Amino acid sequence: MNMLAKISNVVGSQASPANAGLVVTNVSKTFSVTAQSRMEPLQALKNVDLFCPQGSLTALIGPSGCGKSTLLRTIADLETPDSGEITICGESIRKILTRGELGIAFQDPGLLPWRTVRENIALPIQVLKRPVGEASAHINTLISLVGLAGFENALPAQLSGGMRQRVAIARALVTRPSLLLLDEPFGALDQILRRTMNLELQRIWMGDVTTAVLVTHGIDEAVFLADQIAVMHGKPGRITTIINVPFERPRPESLFSAPEFHRLCDEVAQHLHH
Amino acid sequence: MNGTSTYAGYGRIILVAAAFLLCWELAGRVPVSGVRVFPPISRIAMDYLVSWDVYLNHVSETIRTAGLGLLIGSVAAAVAALVFCFLPSVERLFQGVNITLFSIPTVAIGPLLVLILGGSWPQIVLAAIMVYFPTMAAILVGLRDIDPRHVDIVRAYGGGSFSVLRFVRLRSAVPGILAGLRVAASLSVLGAILGEFGSGERWGLGTFLLGSLGQSNAERLWGISIAAAAVALAGYGFFALLGKLTASTVQVTMAASRVPEQMSWSAGRGKLSNIAMIAGSVALPFAIWSGGLWILGLSSIVAPGPLDIVSYLFVSPESADNLVRLLSALGQTLPLAALGVVLGLLAAFVLAALSVVSPGMLKIVLPISMVLQSTPLVALTPIILLLLGRDILASMAMAVIVVFFPAFLLLVHGFSLVPRAALETVKVYGGSRLQQLRLISIPHSLDYVFAAAKLVAPRALLGVMVAEWLLTGTGIGNLMDVSRGAFDYGMVWSCAVVSILVSVLAYHLITVTERRFR
Ligand SMILES: Nc1ncnc2c1ncn2[C@@H]1O[C@H](COP(=O)(O)OP(=O)(O)OP(=O)(O)O)[C@@H](O)[C@H]1O
Ligand SMILES: [Mg+2]
Repeated sequence: MNMLAKISNVVGSQASPANAGLVVTNVSKTFSVTAQSRMEPLQALKNVDLFCPQGSLTALIGPSGCGKSTLLRTIADLETPDSGEITICGESIRKILTRGELGIAFQDPGLLPWRTVRENIALPIQVLKRPVGEASAHINTLISLVGLAGFENALPAQLSGGMRQRVAIARALVTRPSLLLLDEPFGALDQILRRTMNLELQRIWMGDVTTAVLVTHGIDEAVFLADQIAVMHGKPGRITTIINVPFERPRPESLFSAPEFHRLCDEVAQHLHH
Repeated sequence: MNGTSTYAGYGRIILVAAAFLLCWELAGRVPVSGVRVFPPISRIAMDYLVSWDVYLNHVSETIRTAGLGLLIGSVAAAVAALVFCFLPSVERLFQGVNITLFSIPTVAIGPLLVLILGGSWPQIVLAAIMVYFPTMAAILVGLRDIDPRHVDIVRAYGGGSFSVLRFVRLRSAVPGILAGLRVAASLSVLGAILGEFGSGERWGLGTFLLGSLGQSNAERLWGISIAAAAVALAGYGFFALLGKLTASTVQVTMAASRVPEQMSWSAGRGKLSNIAMIAGSVALPFAIWSGGLWILGLSSIVAPGPLDIVSYLFVSPESADNLVRLLSALGQTLPLAALGVVLGLLAAFVLAALSVVSPGMLKIVLPISMVLQSTPLVALTPIILLLLGRDILASMAMAVIVVFFPAFLLLVHGFSLVPRAALETVKVYGGSRLQQLRLISIPHSLDYVFAAAKLVAPRALLGVMVAEWLLTGTGIGNLMDVSRGAFDYGMVWSCAVVSILVSVLAYHLITVTERRFR
């Protein structure tokens, strides 16, 4: 609770609309009882406050089912919060996403099975009614960036789980978003590829300096990538701790074996287990 | 079904068919009984060769009307499905109309259409009516059953419902649309033929059949049956091939029986608006009926409205007599149809269950059933006439046959969806196949039993009525035909209305039973 007060302090002092990044204020969300299921109403988010400064990367970490995906979906305006407010640089999220400045990759890639890799990556551009031809070079860059060169015309069914996730990441980046939301994007990747993708993500993110929120189960991944780590707990879903990560950028791969890195990982783990 | 097993399936069909034809040829050549019932294949072929121009004229007319009906029916279905997809309240309002169109015994409204429309329009409209429901259901399910993750992606880039339609729904619906058309193509042929019965048109397989039933020319009757079946199968095959080319095949029978279920009357909302909706959906078919007649400006003698029918049956001086005639005909028809449903379902269930116990059997039975299911049932009438004559047994057989094949296919599909892990759990504890069936498969496929019942109940009534009209000269099918000849149009319409009401009632009865069961 103490921590929460601190966060809102931070929000209060720094959040002048012009330079503020993503500001989540007092957001609550309850999934009500539907006709079919006999479940109790479930409070997935309760009074969540989160401040992600412009150009920062925030990792969201917490036990399964604590509401991480729900928070991310609420930020993306895919769920309507019961109360509270979400702004980006003082603007509503709705405005941001109709301008195509939001990039999102879901926990489950959700590729259109009848579209090839390339066509799946191009989908956001088509939805935004922009000419696909102009983005062609950018799409090529993204495909090789996620290591799928040669698979441009493959259908999702012909790809492995990890490859599909990488398509979803490329798709999230295709509009050059100013707000990037990634829900466990590396969940299905092996450890080595995961490291590589972590480094790549840092590079992409530093190159375009976007505000990013990354949901992850990997403590080391969170510590390596994030400027701040928000620890969530469930029932009801809320942010219990914010941990700042002081390491300088660009962070080298050798950071993974540094003692201060492990110290911070242990601290995060401590907060996670409470 | 994957590629290789389908080809193996084709191979089996060809082999079985060749053996079958050979036996048939031989049986037909047995001098005593053969010729009357099973003319040798070679004689049927001769009939085609000698009278090819007659066949060609009849067949091409049926293809023309069926094709037009298919076009009109599927365009209407597509428009309706799109509207229902975006405006669920309109769908609820049209529920009564949809269920009516689903359960209409088509043969009953053929004569009405002949009274209202001219030329080959009765056949075309009848074909369109038969096409509408399964196609609409398949498209609607396709448009609706989409992956929510796909919707999320489109919405995350500011896409509205039009973008969702364009990028997700339409493409998702393609396999369903093709599967719907596959079934609809063979139904349109049935519709066209049923329409031709009463139309007095010169050409068409229905006319040809009606004209040949009186002559005891077995080759000709078989020839017509086979030609009708071939036309229907060609339509089915065309869309099946299209589905294969676009790699999108899907089971559609379930969709057809599922949609009215989704439009459940007890769905949420306020009680009052719910009751208003139900009342509206019941009233709408009657409103369309009287409104349609009013627009067409027909005399109430040829085309009576709902009130005229009430008067015909309950008010006018002859009403008592009319009612008695109608009810006694109904009394002949209904028990047969009901028995047909029960026997057909039972046979389908037992056979489907057996095929779980011994899967090998399925490999032969399944392809044959698929072919026979898409054979128009009228194509069977001549064969039933030859085999069973013109008595009650013929009506019975017709009902059972129309019920059996779709029910069997649906149940086999249901059994095949039983999760493997559940079956293996029984096996791990030393359970036999029979125990698997009793503990897992049967309870699991109960949904499909009810779906099958809903699907086949109207068909059984249709089957019996066709047999009555063409063969036995009893019941409501015959009463319609006779009344038409006697210019007793009130009775023709009463028969049609009553048979539709009975079908709709049966549908709801099954739905209610299903709810009780759960
Ligand atoms: N559409 C929904 N309807 C009802 N309940 C939901 C819905 N979506 C999520 N929930 C519930 O909200 C809670 C939080 O779910 P959420 O998916 O946000 O968890 P999560 O933290 O992302 O978990 P994981 O790490 O396993 O992905 C869960 O208890 C879940 O059951
Ligand atoms: Mg999640």
